[in-house]
Amino acid sequence: MSVAAEPSMTGDETAEFPAPLEDPRPALRAMVHTVRMYVVRDIDEFRRFRGVIGNLVSQELHVRYQRSMLGFLWTLVNPALMMSTQALVFSRLFRGIGGMGPWEYAVFLFSGAMPWTFLASSLTECTTSLIHQEGLIRKIYVPKWIFPLARVLIQGITFSLSLVALFVMLWPLGAKVSSSLLGLPIAMALLGIFTMGLGLIAATVHTFFRDFGHFLGVGLQAWYFLTPIIYRSDFLPADERWKFWLNPAYPFVRLFQILIHESSWPPAWLFLLCGFIGCATFSAGYLVFKSQERKIVFRL
Amino acid sequence: MPTSNLQTNADAADSPARGDVRIDAREPKLHGPVVRHIAEFPAAGRSRDEAVVRLQNIGLKFTSYHDSHPSLKRALLNLVLRRSAPATNKTFWALQGIDLTIRQGERVALVGTNGAGKSTLLKVIARIYEPTVGRLTTRGRIAPMIEMGAGFHPELTGRRNIQLNGALMGMSRAEMTAREPAIWDWTGLAEFADLPLKYYSSGMFQRLAFAIATEVEPEILLVDESLNAGDASFVDKAKRRILDVFDKAKAVIVVSHDLGIVSELCTRTVWLDHGRIVADGPTPEILDRYVRAVTGG
Repeated sequence: MSVAAEPSMTGDETAEFPAPLEDPRPALRAMVHTVRMYVVRDIDEFRRFRGVIGNLVSQELHVRYQRSMLGFLWTLVNPALMMSTQALVFSRLFRGIGGMGPWEYAVFLFSGAMPWTFLASSLTECTTSLIHQEGLIRKIYVPKWIFPLARVLIQGITFSLSLVALFVMLWPLGAKVSSSLLGLPIAMALLGIFTMGLGLIAATVHTFFRDFGHFLGVGLQAWYFLTPIIYRSDFLPADERWKFWLNPAYPFVRLFQILIHESSWPPAWLFLLCGFIGCATFSAGYLVFKSQERKIVFRL
Repeated sequence: MPTSNLQTNADAADSPARGDVRIDAREPKLHGPVVRHIAEFPAAGRSRDEAVVRLQNIGLKFTSYHDSHPSLKRALLNLVLRRSAPATNKTFWALQGIDLTIRQGERVALVGTNGAGKSTLLKVIARIYEPTVGRLTTRGRIAPMIEMGAGFHPELTGRRNIQLNGALMGMSRAEMTAREPAIWDWTGLAEFADLPLKYYSSGMFQRLAFAIATEVEPEILLVDESLNAGDASFVDKAKRRILDVFDKAKAVIVVSHDLGIVSELCTRTVWLDHGRIVADGPTPEILDRYVRAVTGG
């Protein structure tokens, strides 16, 4: 009855539906119990299906990059052009914004826009991740959450590659190499957890409401302008700046801005705040997803 | 014993066999309203070690959605304008009270008219459809041959598709690499191994799909009438291979309308109608009753 050490599906399975609970308990404890059960099962399935996750990620990267040598270049050229246009326009428009010259502004913009691009494109891809894999989900058993996870992982890889490449491009313009860059993997992991939580919600909602993608597009655009990415937080008068902290994406963006643009280590509380927001969002996304997961196959 | 939660691998072994245990299963809070459901286990009459697939009081409620394009816009408008959404969804039980134990070495056919729930039952065993109530136990690697080439990606080469499909069936990369030559050998497609799958002809595609599905040595094989296409030589070759796999598998469950295949291949037949088991027993006997009922004799 032991589970094989290797990721294989030879493990025996018993599952009861609806997943039973012990004696009637207070609602909260019953819920905790159910969630714990889901988590145990998903950790086990993560172990068994990591080969599939790896395959989904590598097949996508393969299709995207290997079959056209320009593939990766395009994912790089696009944000590079976008950012240089914005750097040119906005450094003129808001002349001397926060006392930054055009080159410094470019570095500032880059440090905030890169994590944003990761967040926005991950969410956009998560939205359709389930319905695009309809063929698979209806024909063979797979835990459904591997599809949003694969999308976030793919975007994460693209994000890291373009971060390195664009940094090299910005280096002559004044991007500084400092020890604070070592904090980037931590920042990326925190942002990844946050993104995964939102991605799970996006994937669930889109399966049940197929026009969610349109709402998401508009929402992301508005969210982008509400977040201090193209402008600095001193854009608002000092006594109103606290409002930025109501935006759950701002701490993450700020983390990257401090690490890359200001070349210093963010205060510990900022890491903790991002960790807290990330975990809370992930938990919320996980619960939303799990509560609907069994219905997804019938709604594709 | 009644501390039966989701039965993880460790405690799955001894729960059902102790006989006459009642488990009070309630809908977890996450899934909305509480549904009471009682599963009764028969006294341990037969050795539990033989049971490869065990379904206990399995029921599956289907919701057929009439609004094929559910929209957030409409839902929001309904909310704002305080209209109630038209109740367009019908629910029905696609499977009800299914009790079925399949033991090692059995080859079971599911027969029944269209809409009887045969394919649905197969998908429940494959864990594609999660049942609404009941308890499902499976032992061993399951290979659903419900539709060929489930995990195929047209942009990837044949070789990479083998890896992907292997992973979906729970094979490690190393295991699958070891089996690759046998697959190319059987299909005779070795020269196309590095060609993207979209350039394969449908016959080549099918041969590859079939070869992969049968190469992973499934312990529980689920087959849904997928053996009937391709040219004559392929059908012949495929039949020999599938018989070989049947012999190696612990259990085979086949859905077919072809009663010739059923009586040739299956030792036991389960007759389904409207989501319930009508009869279950040795193939000749059940088929005889089934044919008489269907032809109105």
